[in-house]
Amino acid sequence: MLKKRLVGVVTIKNGWAVQSFGYQRYLPLGKPMCVIENLDRWGVDEILVQVIDRSAGGQGPDFDLLERIGKHGLETPLIYGGGIRTEADGVRIVQMGADRLLIDTLLHQNLAEVYCLANKLGAQALIASLPMSLSDGQLNWHDYRTNSDRPVSAELERCLRLGVLSEALLVDWKSEGRVDGFTNTLVEKFPFKNTPLIAFGGLSDPAQARELLERSNVTAVAVGNFFNYREHAAQNYKLALKGLPVRMPTFRTENTFMAAADV
Amino acid sequence: MRTITVGVVDYGSGNQASVVHSLRSLGIRVRIGGTPDELDGTHLLVLPGVGAFPAAMEVLHQKGLVSYLKESARNGRPLIGICLGMQLLMSGSHEHCYTEGLDLIPGEVIPFDGQSVHIGWNTLELTRQTAPWSASDGEAFYFNHSYYLSAPEEYQVAVTRHQSVFTSALQRGKVVGLQFHPEKSQSAGKVLLKNLIIELTHA
Repeated sequence: MLKKRLVGVVTIKNGWAVQSFGYQRYLPLGKPMCVIENLDRWGVDEILVQVIDRSAGGQGPDFDLLERIGKHGLETPLIYGGGIRTEADGVRIVQMGADRLLIDTLLHQNLAEVYCLANKLGAQALIASLPMSLSDGQLNWHDYRTNSDRPVSAELERCLRLGVLSEALLVDWKSEGRVDGFTNTLVEKFPFKNTPLIAFGGLSDPAQARELLERSNVTAVAVGNFFNYREHAAQNYKLALKGLPVRMPTFRTENTFMAAADV
Repeated sequence: MRTITVGVVDYGSGNQASVVHSLRSLGIRVRIGGTPDELDGTHLLVLPGVGAFPAAMEVLHQKGLVSYLKESARNGRPLIGICLGMQLLMSGSHEHCYTEGLDLIPGEVIPFDGQSVHIGWNTLELTRQTAPWSASDGEAFYFNHSYYLSAPEEYQVAVTRHQSVFTSALQRGKVVGLQFHPEKSQSAGKVLLKNLIIELTHA
């Protein structure tokens, strides 16, 4: 049976892993590799590395970071987002060890390139990053570059309906980093019911994650800040999801693996 | 005991960095090669892969690797295809348009129904309990694909359930295909890779 997933998120700004609050305020966490290695060791189901200042700065993907990740060699599937401009960028990122790409700016700027990426790498390699908020009951799509909101464009709607991207990261960007912040209504209002969702933003409480994962269109939940301050936080989060089709956590000791029984 | 050297086929469509690291963490010597000369002399070949079937076959042809891989398998050198690498072992694929594959195992690659993709951790159910596989029965591995194999049951080693039951691992002699990513499947992946490589290089 296909498991629901717990995605560990590492947000990087100015070369540092940061704790983010609504993508407006940031606190440094440390070197990205330390945070990424921790998530790998803790046995999360996927790791999302999002470098949030690459597109705005026109710098392209952070290939130096990807090289460091490649040299370390993750045992956990890697999703990379940040600065992806072209099909060639995407191919190079995958060759450097990423399994999937998180696409944000291109969805606003150049959807034709997203189709090219899908043609080259396959839809399964692409995730749409959709920062959303609610205003007067309407779902609005946030554009980081202009700090503005608008409804999902007809072009993006077509792209999602065609399955050009395999999943969408539904980001409650206003609640991101806030304890118990995620707005479940975003999932309820999300109009493209055939697009599998990864919910992200303020999911500090596994009970809320459980409620979301019980929905058929939510395939994963993503958690960032809340894994960084407690020992075994990711493993304990998974244990709290027991009873759902979730891979039970691995507790790695010096020489052995100890796994709780899978559901 | 001899040291095993695994040749990882670099044809521009793979995530070979992850595969190489996984193999090295098992104490296996690895050589990455994109030409027959570079891959000669290795005990086992791994064909990784992420991306579309037609583009991958095109590159394999350009690099002169199609005949090399076929000849190598005919001569009994073990070959493990991973994800797209597994699909390339087949007779052909219907991804985008019909494209001929390496034809080392009969069968075709077809899409899941209704734009469906299969992403995440899913369970391997063995249909054949043999030495290198048995420890992996019931273990969860990481899958990431939108096409799957339609292959004769005689080569099927394991199945997985998504929409319906599909072949997730197969073996014909010393040619092995894994639809999932053992290199990204944490301890379960390492155990399977190690068992397979030991069995295939010592049998």
